[in-house]
Amino acid sequence: MTGATDAQAAAEPSTSRGAQLRNWSASNQFVGVLGLLVCLFVAFSFAEPRFFTAANIRVLLTGVAILWMISLGLTVVMLTGGFDLSLGSMLGLSGFVFVGFYVKLGMPALLALVLTVIVGAILGGAINGFLIGKVGLPFLVVTIGTLSLFQGITYLVSNGQTTSLTSSLLDSIGFETKLGVPITVWIMLGALIVLLFVLRRTYFGRDVYATGGNPRAARLAGVNVTRTLIAAYAIAGGLVALAGVLQDAFISAASPVGGGTIIFDATAAVLLGGTVLGGGVGGVGGTIVGVLFLGVLQNGLSLAGIASAWQQVISGVIVILAVLSQQLQRRRRRS
Amino acid sequence: MTQETTLVPDLTVAENILLGPRKVRRWSGIDWKATRRRALEIWELLGAEYSVDDQVSDLPPDQQQLVEIARAISMNARLLLLDEPTSSLTETEVESLFELVRSLKARGLTTIFVSHRMNELFALADRITILRDGRTVEAGEIADYDAERIIERMVGGVPTTAAAGDVSVVEAAAPVLRVRNLSVPGHVRDASLVVGAGQSIGLAGLTGSGRAELLDAIFGVRRADGGSVEIGGAELRPGQISASIAQGLAYVPGDRKNAGLVLDMTVTENLMMASTSGSVRLRTPGRVRERAAARAVAREFGIVAASPDVPCSTLSGGNQQKVVLAKWMRSSPRILLLDEPTRGVDIGAKREIYRLLTEARAQGIGILVSSSETEELLALCDHILVMFRGEIVASLDTATATEADLAHYSMGGR
Repeated sequence: MTGATDAQAAAEPSTSRGAQLRNWSASNQFVGVLGLLVCLFVAFSFAEPRFFTAANIRVLLTGVAILWMISLGLTVVMLTGGFDLSLGSMLGLSGFVFVGFYVKLGMPALLALVLTVIVGAILGGAINGFLIGKVGLPFLVVTIGTLSLFQGITYLVSNGQTTSLTSSLLDSIGFETKLGVPITVWIMLGALIVLLFVLRRTYFGRDVYATGGNPRAARLAGVNVTRTLIAAYAIAGGLVALAGVLQDAFISAASPVGGGTIIFDATAAVLLGGTVLGGGVGGVGGTIVGVLFLGVLQNGLSLAGIASAWQQVISGVIVILAVLSQQLQRRRRRS
Repeated sequence: MTQETTLVPDLTVAENILLGPRKVRRWSGIDWKATRRRALEIWELLGAEYSVDDQVSDLPPDQQQLVEIARAISMNARLLLLDEPTSSLTETEVESLFELVRSLKARGLTTIFVSHRMNELFALADRITILRDGRTVEAGEIADYDAERIIERMVGGVPTTAAAGDVSVVEAAAPVLRVRNLSVPGHVRDASLVVGAGQSIGLAGLTGSGRAELLDAIFGVRRADGGSVEIGGAELRPGQISASIAQGLAYVPGDRKNAGLVLDMTVTENLMMASTSGSVRLRTPGRVRERAAARAVAREFGIVAASPDVPCSTLSGGNQQKVVLAKWMRSSPRILLLDEPTRGVDIGAKREIYRLLTEARAQGIGILVSSSETEELLALCDHILVMFRGEIVASLDTATATEADLAHYSMGGR
């Protein structure tokens, strides 16, 4: 019984501002990285006069657009306890899916864009999601398979050639601004806000966290774990398809060598943002902090004239240190 | 040898037999030929059906047990300790294991065999030692004992065999749950039972008797092989859990941490999970309303938590269990299935849980509770069904039944 009164006593101050803040920072693992991001930002602003300018911030944000979208999709998948290696090759494929609708079939650009996103969602949901959620295959095996599958299809439909395209819609998406903010950035913010809402304010969002946190308990409580997994991989596919169209817009062409190693940057961003391998903990807010951290680091180092090989070395070390400090924090909190 | 096997499932029989003492050649690591030859010698000695080159995971349970025994022999064992090795074996598999132990006995091997099952003791043992609460109560020649006497010494009471096991289903005035001939391959055979409104039925039996598997099958998370489950006259379709919940079925599983709660999610989120599992998924839960409801539930169920927004991992075991119970009571069930409802819970929480279950009964909710604690069943239930090796072997009225009766039927007494 003394345990009860102790806990009740402890409950009182939790209503205070300070405790609320502590609670918030405890449940939001990215707070440490956010601090690092701010430090990095301030440091670059002082050290490099060209850093904190409207033009450079615009470049920085549009520069992380693709990483932003992929990381958001990957976050949803990782929250369910899975992983999706195929997102990188899905990016390249989507660029050509858009070309197919827009150039080959002559559809209006907006319709082609919407259809491309739908195709991405269907590929993600019906192949990755179905095999992982319904058939029960391990996610690494499935997405290693689709990684190669999507890449192969991309080379088949493109013959290994870059297809250039001109579209006024893509030009405005890629290069115009609204209210002083690039349209690309509006799209990025839109995707973020929709996902924040879906994950934090809907029953589906809860299903995602429950599926990653404890699939067995979730299933016993009536959560449709299979449907949740299929939806998560579909969302990731759709977001990456949108990123594929953005990529087309930036280079006014679809290139079969699009994907590359971006999935690794996305993984780093998601982990930096506090979403854990194994799922159930984290969120898209943290992921964005991770994406911006990588973006600021790379942009600042470039402006400072550091050779790209050194940039990679420095990014690698800082990412490891950041994840390490996060782990240490978490361990301290546990004990 | 322990109850659970200690084999490496992906290795072959031979590799498992000589897992520890391998034949090592001086220069080139393990001598696989010699290993296989030695394993084969032992394996043939045991008269096993499978080849030493088969993968262990492909073997049936009894043959896996054989591999363990073979391993023991390979170490030139002179004393074999068997700790309830039969809990996962079928009748015929048990018989072939016993056959083997007898032949080993003839070759001078001593065996200590730990079991709860009377018939097995009489089939195998020469001498018996009875333990209660960690102390030796009695020891002697098995010939001087019968099942009655052993159970009496074990539990410290005499079974009233008058409360005989009439296993025909006891009809209830207003049945809410009706289970007909439900079978789970390897675990439950032909179980039938009825739970009435406001009635409380207990499931007793040793670990491995199929209690938990029966509850799993009723709820629909474990595939049943034939049989039917009805709630209020409507048959359930297995595997559609949110539909079962909507019909009024609730299940508090035995393994709280792995099946009861999502520990990283908040108290509120866990409390709402079952009752909202049928909602449209893109709808928004009313946050203010939910928190108010969570606070009310916490008060009603006596859940001690810093706030409704802390993760369940921060709660004590007893409070976690109350969250699981409260989660299901929110789904307005007509029948509550519980497996080990007070495992790992302190006395205060235990009493609280008993009170909540009594209240649930008063509301007309039917209760089916499985437990390894005899006093718990006697305190909570009107009727107790005893399971032995996957079958319901006795149906006892709590008014007349004693702990000794439960022990008697749980251990295979007749």
